[in-house]
Amino acid sequence: MKNIIRALRAERNWSQAALADQLGVSRQSINAIETGKYDPSLPLAFAIARLFGKPIEEIFDDEIDVQIAAQ
Amino acid sequence: MTQQTFKSAKRRYHRVFWPLMIVYSLIVIGGSFGLKQLDPEPLWLQTTLAIGCAIPVIGTLLVMIRYAEETDEYNRMVQLRGFAWGGILTVSAIFTIGFLQLFHVVNTIEIFWFGPLFFIAYGLSTYVIGGRQCP
Repeated sequence: MKNIIRALRAERNWSQAALADQLGVSRQSINAIETGKYDPSLPLAFAIARLFGKPIEEIFDDEIDVQIAAQ
Repeated sequence: MTQQTFKSAKRRYHRVFWPLMIVYSLIVIGGSFGLKQLDPEPLWLQTTLAIGCAIPVIGTLLVMIRYAEETDEYNRMVQLRGFAWGGILTVSAIFTIGFLQLFHVVNTIEIFWFGPLFFIAYGLSTYVIGGRQCP
């Protein structure tokens, strides 16, 4: 699942480690989510959305997955 | 979701893992050195040392599981997949070598070596799946 976490983080000048600390997860988790290697659970996705003050669907883009599911 | 989940899980892991490794090393090194001084080696001491070596290893496995349960969701996924692949590789080796023994292709191999094999397979799998994820 694509997301704009890297861009949101850059806007705030936060490192992956700084974001990880605020969410209580590892830096590797943030890296895996940013690169699309790992899709976060709903609670973590909500926590990310709350932290950036944006709705989940603005941060995460499941368009490709929806297209695949529809086929 | 609790804050500092990942860090506190890591701390709790290291707090138990390293003392267990120190105890394990002391028993293995001290035990084998001490036994060499005795002739004949008393059975009760051999048994005590053997079980004494196994207990920290079992403790380490339990601590690894606790870490997997307490850490963040991504690390949990990496750890559990590492466990799964470690288990699959070890059991596959047990069956393959076991059948080779049953059909008299190879001589008896000490069962002990499957323990280190699991830890190596688990470590390598974890590294391949998640990079440097080991606590």
